[in-house]
Amino acid sequence: MELPGRIVAKVWRAFGLSAAAWHSASVKEPRGELVAVVEDEKNIRETVVFALKREGYRVNSYGDGAEAWNAFRQRLPDLAVLDILLPRMDGRELCRKLRSRSESLPIIFLTSKDEELDRVLGLELGADDYLCKPFSMRELVTRIKVLFRRASLAADPSARDETRMLRAGPLEIDGLRYTARWRGEALALTITEFLLLQALARHPGHVKTRQQLMEEAYPNDAYVSERTIDSHVKRLRRKFEERDAAFAGIETVHGMGYRWVESEKS
Amino acid sequence: MTPLFSRISTRLLAFNLLLVFLPVAGLLYLDAYEKQLLEAQERSMVQQGRVLSAALSGRGRLQREEVGRVLRQLNLRLDSRLRVVDRDGTILGDTSLLGPREKKAAAPPASAPTRKNLLYRIGAFLVDLPKRLSPPVEPPPSPDREEAPGGRLDGREVRAALSGRYGNATRVSPEQRSVTLSSAIPIESDGAAVGAAVVSQSTYRILQDLYAIRLRIAKVCAASAAVALIFSLFVSATIARPLRALRDEAAAILDRRGRLRGTFRGIARRDEIGDLARALEELTVRLEDRQRGLESFASDVAHELKNPLASIRSAAEMLSEVRDPEERRRFLAVILEEVARMEQQVSQLAEVTRIDAGLEAEEQAAVPLNGLLSRIAERFRMRENGRVRFEITQPEQVLAVRASPARMTQVFENLFDNAASFSPDGGWVRVALARSPDGSVAVTVSDEGPGIPAAHHARIFDRFFSYRPEVPVNPAGSTRAWDSRSSERSSRATAAPSPPRTTRTGARHSP
Repeated sequence: MELPGRIVAKVWRAFGLSAAAWHSASVKEPRGELVAVVEDEKNIRETVVFALKREGYRVNSYGDGAEAWNAFRQRLPDLAVLDILLPRMDGRELCRKLRSRSESLPIIFLTSKDEELDRVLGLELGADDYLCKPFSMRELVTRIKVLFRRASLAADPSARDETRMLRAGPLEIDGLRYTARWRGEALALTITEFLLLQALARHPGHVKTRQQLMEEAYPNDAYVSERTIDSHVKRLRRKFEERDAAFAGIETVHGMGYRWVESEKS
Repeated sequence: MTPLFSRISTRLLAFNLLLVFLPVAGLLYLDAYEKQLLEAQERSMVQQGRVLSAALSGRGRLQREEVGRVLRQLNLRLDSRLRVVDRDGTILGDTSLLGPREKKAAAPPASAPTRKNLLYRIGAFLVDLPKRLSPPVEPPPSPDREEAPGGRLDGREVRAALSGRYGNATRVSPEQRSVTLSSAIPIESDGAAVGAAVVSQSTYRILQDLYAIRLRIAKVCAASAAVALIFSLFVSATIARPLRALRDEAAAILDRRGRLRGTFRGIARRDEIGDLARALEELTVRLEDRQRGLESFASDVAHELKNPLASIRSAAEMLSEVRDPEERRRFLAVILEEVARMEQQVSQLAEVTRIDAGLEAEEQAAVPLNGLLSRIAERFRMRENGRVRFEITQPEQVLAVRASPARMTQVFENLFDNAASFSPDGGWVRVALARSPDGSVAVTVSDEGPGIPAAHHARIFDRFFSYRPEVPVNPAGSTRAWDSRSSERSSRATAAPSPPRTTRTGARHSP
């Protein structure tokens, strides 16, 4: 199965074709990272496993939380994709247990209820990102790549690309690491929150409609509800306010969307 | 700012004032009463005149001494001015010239205290207002003079009496609001009038009585108005204000999008307002339940549909990216499978909607569970034809629940169906019916199938919840969530924990 894919990949690379074309055309070289997929819906689980294996990841999959935790006790994966409603052990419980073992393990939650998303976002479970079902497989793969990149760059403080830095007053955004700082303090943002913040701060004072924010935060997913954007923005504001109680950098423009307020410049 | 008087309070005040003022207004116009008093006074004067006339009649020409004697005697008993004239009108005697009367001659009370009373003046002003606003009325023609030169009486009443008829006249008292009534009775002798008995009396006393009555009525009116005002304020506080509070609550209970944002606060009072508040509170609670149910339903539906949608979307994306025919077939099969699942869910959704809509309208009756469970078990024995065995344990006593008979049958048929479909060949489905210590009736259906994991027990009665083991004994089998919803709506139902390897779904129904 993989041998023809590798040959094709080499051919594509030899001809210098684009990553996107490569992405859609071929199976990747094994990356070596171990991804755990915990999802009770068999078809979703198998499709995610297939897509990740095509990207070259090693993947272990589990149908319920208890089975996954039994495996994780033996060995932690490099990244975990968790459904929230899982048999035997809830996804949130599994996340807490994982966090007790590792603070840095990237975790992505899959949710099927909007209110579930609100609840999970409000619980501060420490997940690195959340995707609502039905999610785009490309989007999931992209998020996983970003999380791996962020994790690897976090281990390498010397890596810095000034061209990927964005500053808006006290806000500093590192587009390479997918991290942000407010008045010098690091913000613990999910990838979605980071992308939303980057989209807003890139053009201070300009109103970004929810549709525009959706396109920037979910470039591969055209089916995200506006309510999801509101949930993420609400969460984003709360994270700023935890650092700065007087924070008012994100303004709601009723009937339109949101904008980054320039008066926050210092 | 809330006005002191609402529309309902204003109406109540107007109604109360009307109740007070309608009779008062009638009494203030005392014309009829005054007329009656005047007539009574005239009758009294005529009687006095007749007495005087009778005393002097039949004695030929009137003698001044005789007249004087009779007048002196009558003056002690009568309170009118009595005069006697001869046939020429010459005054032969006048009680006003006899000095003050005994006792009865006390001076009449001064009019000032009554008419100068502020309340009287306000009432008189209001009563006279129409007269003041209308053009002035021409004064009545001045009556003829009573007295003629030479100590004679020459009024028309005197002239009538001297001609043998009864005569009367009313004359305005100079600089007085009262008038003087005068009646003249002929004094006859041998069939001819030899003189006249003239009786005069002022209406001053009647006016004083009227003034006093008007003042008393005005006092009652003022007191009634004060009571009406207090009563109206009380009514406003106890009726209008709570109604306004209910109105304000009703206005605030829905948000701009028409969603319920709270409930009416109950009012402890036991009158109609309290009933209304409680009815509104119950209404909003039921609406809230309904709204919550609809939101929960929509959320459940969305949740149930998102999983197959997620599978379809993922598989479709993969389908567009993979070239291997076998992989493509595999993803296509996933899409078809999930589409079939969605079709089944949509059918269930339609059925749930139909059941939900019909449950409220369905009549409830006492359903004896012993016979019902036996009949259903017998049907399933025949259907399974020995593949699965059924055992029923139930008491001698008939246990019944109040529910829709059709829904009860459906609930237990579905439980039996689920149990049978997940049972291995030769397995047992055991049904136990018993009364619980709390008085409710418990029905337990257990089988020897793969069982429902403990993690799912809390969700057994969730709408649309479905658990499908990886390798079902009978692919047709799955817990069908609307079963439990039906039972929950039909009566109260709870899930019982299951031991491993045993599907044990308990439904407990309160009688």
